[in-house]
Amino acid sequence: MVHLSSFLLKKYHSGYVVIRLAMAGHKQANRPFYRIVAAYNKRSRDGKYIEQLGTFDPLPNIYNEKLVSFNFDRIKYWIGCGAHPTKPVAKLLGLSGFFPLHPMTVTEAERRRAQAKLAETTAGTEDSQEEENRAGV
Amino acid sequence: MAALGTARCLFRSFSRVKDVQRGKKTLLRCGVRTFCSETNDAKPRFRDPAVQDILGRITGLDLQKVFRPIKQELKPPTYKLMTDEQLQQAVELAKEEARKQLQMPPVLPERKPIDDVLVVDKILDGMDTAKYVFTDITYNIPHRERFIVVREPDGTLRKANWEERDRLVQVYFPRQGRKLTPHLLFKEENLKTVFSQDRHEDVLDLCLVQFDPDSSDYIRVHEATYEDLEKNGKYDLLRSTRHFGGMAWYLLNARRVDGLIVDMLRRELLQDAISLVSLFHMVHPHSQSAQEAASQQASGTDLLKIYAQNESQKSGYIELALQAYEEKGAEGSAA
Repeated sequence: MVHLSSFLLKKYHSGYVVIRLAMAGHKQANRPFYRIVAAYNKRSRDGKYIEQLGTFDPLPNIYNEKLVSFNFDRIKYWIGCGAHPTKPVAKLLGLSGFFPLHPMTVTEAERRRAQAKLAETTAGTEDSQEEENRAGV
Repeated sequence: MAALGTARCLFRSFSRVKDVQRGKKTLLRCGVRTFCSETNDAKPRFRDPAVQDILGRITGLDLQKVFRPIKQELKPPTYKLMTDEQLQQAVELAKEEARKQLQMPPVLPERKPIDDVLVVDKILDGMDTAKYVFTDITYNIPHRERFIVVREPDGTLRKANWEERDRLVQVYFPRQGRKLTPHLLFKEENLKTVFSQDRHEDVLDLCLVQFDPDSSDYIRVHEATYEDLEKNGKYDLLRSTRHFGGMAWYLLNARRVDGLIVDMLRRELLQDAISLVSLFHMVHPHSQSAQEAASQQASGTDLLKIYAQNESQKSGYIELALQAYEEKGAEGSAA
């Protein structure tokens, strides 16, 4: 990882800038909501950030959509200043089409498909076993 | 019965939203950009200055109706001592204000649906159970040019369609008075109830706030309102409001202006009727009455007579009303 933000930014800071998800903390249990944020690396996850660049709502709404918002103009600026996106932010940007697809997204999709197929085959064998039992009895 | 009750308490809860500049803003946003390429059109459009002039004149300027009491923050009234000149100036100012408030919302054709697929990634099939909707939050771009894309669970990346776009723009850039799900008032049954209560103006105001002028819902609600008004002949409800021009334009394009002309003659607005007929000739230059009028270079009540003879179904009534008006004029000049 080449950390260039301390050279490219006007104010000197010994750390580097990251674009990451910060929990928006509305003090409600079991209801996460993330802000996509440009912050210094060593700051706490929900602490003081430099700028908010978007939001991410991980729970689907009534139309079965997960809403993500990006301020692409400012994201381009921060990437130009040497900020690094974290893995989940890179995945979201890849899904949106702004970045190329993240390899882990593809791997996750393949894993899910394999899981689904496994569940199907086990269900299939269980069904056939049940039929045999019923036929036998 | 339950529907009636809910409809009644639903539309009693809203307040009329006064937003004068919205018509201009939406016009600039959708009208100018999409239509600046069509210059040489034989048929006059809604936005032509001549058409707008005539429609503005027949809308009328009833100050009492424009500035009637609406739901507002309660303030104690102010009293001013004025001379006659100052009073006149204040009335002029009020007329300017009323003219601004009577600005007509744009009439646009229905927008074409968006179905643009950007990428099809078969390798992402089954990545998640929900769709991901990505919106661009950049502040300076107009809402029509914003990027709103949807990644489906089967991997396709497509542009969001118009309903999704409207909803998401309202989520991230909320507009005063607009709701995420449209008011239940806009359903067919509830519209009928409201029309029976003569609240067409309120429906049209709500519709203007909620929908974009070229969305299918806006056009549907407006057409339903105009049809109901025309069926019952209640044109006076919209007179001196910003929706009168739109109604007149709709009736002109459908060639069903007879009811409106009859209503105008009944209220002795002869000039309005004449300007309406001249507008009809502008919009339908190939009709029989338009060609006759052009050949005879008619003006004034002759225009009305030509129109009554050629185009209208209620010609008898129009001619009777014209005769009555002329008789009154003769009596007045004699006495």
